[in-house]
Amino acid sequence: MARRTKIHVGLEIGTSKTCIVVGEVKPDSAVKILGIGVTKSAGIRKGGISDFVQARACLKDALAKAEDASDVEIGSVYLSVTGSHMQGVNNRGTFRLPDNQPNILPEHLTEVCNIARDVHYPQDHVCLHTIIRKYLVDGLEQSASPVGLFAKIVEADFHVVHGIGNRIQNSIKLVRECPMEVDDIVFAPIATAQMALDREQRQRGALLIDIGGGTTDYVLYLDGAIAASGCIPVGGDHVTNDIHLVTGLPFSKAEKLKISEGNASSDPSLSVGYAKLTDESGFADVEVKRAILNEVIRQRLEETLKLVHERLPKGAVENIGAGVFLTGGTSLMNGFSELAFDVFGRDIYRPENSSNPDSDHPSYRDPRYATAIGLIRYAQILETENTKPPGCLGKLFRLFWPFGR
Amino acid sequence: MISYSRDSRDSHESIPASAVKIIGLGGAGANMLERIALDSMEGAELLALNTDVRTLVSCLAKDKIQLGVNLTKGLGTGGDPELGHQAMLEAENAVRAALVGQRIVFLCAGLGGGTGSGAAPIVARIAREEGAFVVVFATMPFFFEGRRRREQAETSLNQLTVLSNALVTFDNNRMGELVLAKQGIHEAFGAADRMISESIKAVIRLVIRPGLINVGLDDLMSALRTTRSRCLFGSGIADGKDRASKALRNALSSPLLDQGALLKEAQTVLVHLCGGESLTLFEIELLMGSLQKHVPETAHVLFGAAIDPAMGENLSITLISALPEDSLSVGSRASTSQIPEPTANSETKEPALLVIEPAFQEIEQNAEAPTAIETMTPKQPLEEASSATDGSENHPDPLAETIVRSGPNPEIGVETAALFQQSERGEPSRSEPETPKKEDRPFAEFTTTESTVGIMPEPDPHEKVSHDPFIFGNQPKHRAPDKPLWGKSGPPSKAGSEDSDPSVKDITPPSPPARKAPATQLKLDPKFPNPQSELPFDSAPKGRFEGENPNVFDGEDLDLPPFLRKKKS
Repeated sequence: MARRTKIHVGLEIGTSKTCIVVGEVKPDSAVKILGIGVTKSAGIRKGGISDFVQARACLKDALAKAEDASDVEIGSVYLSVTGSHMQGVNNRGTFRLPDNQPNILPEHLTEVCNIARDVHYPQDHVCLHTIIRKYLVDGLEQSASPVGLFAKIVEADFHVVHGIGNRIQNSIKLVRECPMEVDDIVFAPIATAQMALDREQRQRGALLIDIGGGTTDYVLYLDGAIAASGCIPVGGDHVTNDIHLVTGLPFSKAEKLKISEGNASSDPSLSVGYAKLTDESGFADVEVKRAILNEVIRQRLEETLKLVHERLPKGAVENIGAGVFLTGGTSLMNGFSELAFDVFGRDIYRPENSSNPDSDHPSYRDPRYATAIGLIRYAQILETENTKPPGCLGKLFRLFWPFGR
Repeated sequence: MISYSRDSRDSHESIPASAVKIIGLGGAGANMLERIALDSMEGAELLALNTDVRTLVSCLAKDKIQLGVNLTKGLGTGGDPELGHQAMLEAENAVRAALVGQRIVFLCAGLGGGTGSGAAPIVARIAREEGAFVVVFATMPFFFEGRRRREQAETSLNQLTVLSNALVTFDNNRMGELVLAKQGIHEAFGAADRMISESIKAVIRLVIRPGLINVGLDDLMSALRTTRSRCLFGSGIADGKDRASKALRNALSSPLLDQGALLKEAQTVLVHLCGGESLTLFEIELLMGSLQKHVPETAHVLFGAAIDPAMGENLSITLISALPEDSLSVGSRASTSQIPEPTANSETKEPALLVIEPAFQEIEQNAEAPTAIETMTPKQPLEEASSATDGSENHPDPLAETIVRSGPNPEIGVETAALFQQSERGEPSRSEPETPKKEDRPFAEFTTTESTVGIMPEPDPHEKVSHDPFIFGNQPKHRAPDKPLWGKSGPPSKAGSEDSDPSVKDITPPSPPARKAPATQLKLDPKFPNPQSELPFDSAPKGRFEGENPNVFDGEDLDLPPFLRKKKS
């Protein structure tokens, strides 16, 4: 039993915080969070490393905290990456079967997948994920592998995520210097979706928006398959910065004001009077008109959501059946659901641990850790996918193994 | 100050449109011609040649000649080059008549078939015999068309290599890169035709429209110097705030450039910029700066710029270069050094020169007849030739250039000067082969006087000076056309590169360089504020995102609060 319990570690180096989550995947594929290590990030701007030394110090701190909390020595992590350079594109590969070959062989499928994966991206970019969306056999959709079917033409739809190789390399370098190994790199929203969306929601169509400190990552699932993903380099930092620029308050005060007093909904009744902050000594420190504060916040977030909306494929929003799922620290902003509803006109959710009700760790429910926890889910899925079919001995062993696969 | 009209000069120095002919030969040629006609290319006449009368009738070209009236009786050649050959010979006189007096002939043909492969070499020969500069655009057949067609195409290509001045081959097998895999074959062919049409258009634009910094046929020749070459061609157009980088990006995204990767091996790159009145020096600097990253440092960059009011806010950039076919797999390109004697070329090109030269000289004289001094140029005594005069002549050049220009339009003059410095950097190697040649035709004589005169804003002497470079034109392939086509800037770049030659410098009389510097300085000053127009963009405070790369999406800087942005608008 112990042999089959695996510990995975998810690492998210975010703009506002560096977060390590240690999770234990049990043989029945339940995930138990053993510990979380979080530090405020420094040296990260808009999802990219701007000060390597500071970022490394933060990572080391988070690592120490996580090891402390979970009592696990962390040797390797799953790393989530993001940044405005990341792009997700859909591509379809078409392969016409040879004339004398009426049904699809595995090598045909390999061929069509290779064609579909061959997306034209800039030279400095590297491909991060190639995710199969669906196969088409003579134009008919086929969600499972079509090997063996009779067909003339087999097509494969792929979603390919690519980003600038050097920036991703730098993130890996940062982790390696800690020193830890990187098991795999995952585009942040895809990891988040593993945790935030369950199979049914993906089937019905769901849009996940992860608004973090420096970036807004999104991923759209339609019919159970990923339909779009990407990153917009705007996040909570921008909201703070806007407040700073408009009102002239220092960053720390602007940040406090944003969290405690800000409201993103356009409800005019919330925009009456003044928002005040008092410092420890009791002095009335800051006074800002609520109308201005809320308007600044609302316009920024509205614009961000609209940018996401624009970048989704045409007509996709109408096909979202399950709704829009918001995660990330900024999604905690008051009135954000209302604003998101105004933009998308769909049901709005902030994920409340929908997929794993068995965890009792309080922070597990926090959308701020969604990505790091999602990484563990991702690792778990990857693990099951990559498990090779057991050999002779393994089969024999399985026969007597009482705990399913 | 003598007034100085640019328009009149334009008309004199450019090749008249009537002297450019585009020939579409065979079925593939007709398709390309059609695309060209659809793009409503100005400044060129279209001529369709075909054996198949049905295709010919439906062709949009103004002039049509049916080949092999008696031989094939209006049918095609059925893929037999011998038949195409015979049919062409039959119509030789008619074709010759159509080509009389043409300066440049573009021959578009699809090799591999009967008419294309069989007739193309003859058409090229006739055009050459009529004294035209022949650029052949040939498409090579697909692999799946079989070995026989491939061989026919190769044979024809080998002949064309010898017969044409420049040969650009588009391999149909690379067509797949032009379009997505799922797009129709129609679009694939259409895209290939469009690419050829664009290339021709760019070439014509280069050759016909005189530029501020001119690139002419000679530059084009050296960019396409290698025979059996694959043409690297990219053209991009963009407007808006960072149009310079956008245009370059568009240009580099051409499949023939392989995202700019192929430029890494190029030895000679021709860059031509065309923009509206709002084209700024800053933009050009920016663009050339980023282009430098894509071409090797040692590359010979032939730079040209033109102002075309019709471009409005747009900025277009055209990149032309060539790689020999073999170097696409091997990397080395030793054979394409700057000296125009790569083994294969020497025979090919020498005759070319002979043919072209008279033509150009004619144009030269036409062009310069209006100015008295100009006509003197050819009469300059050879005895004056000496390295000393050479040097002195070269120095005033750029300066004089500036001043000449500054008469009618100081801004342009400055731009030219600055730009030329840029291009000068790009082509240091060029001076070597040319220096000796200069000595056989030196008008250097006036330069001694000019070095003093040149600084004064009298147009006439400068006119002279700026044409000096014809001296260098002895390498006719490069230089001769400079003169006919508004050679203003071509020459200075030569001269400039010689500036750097220390031996020349030593002998130079001290006065010209000394005076030159301040003059240029003066001219440059008023122009410099131009880049400042970018300032407002950055001027708004960005708080913690200060000093970072602009975070621009859809023309909006996302680092600025929408609250402030929206208020403004």
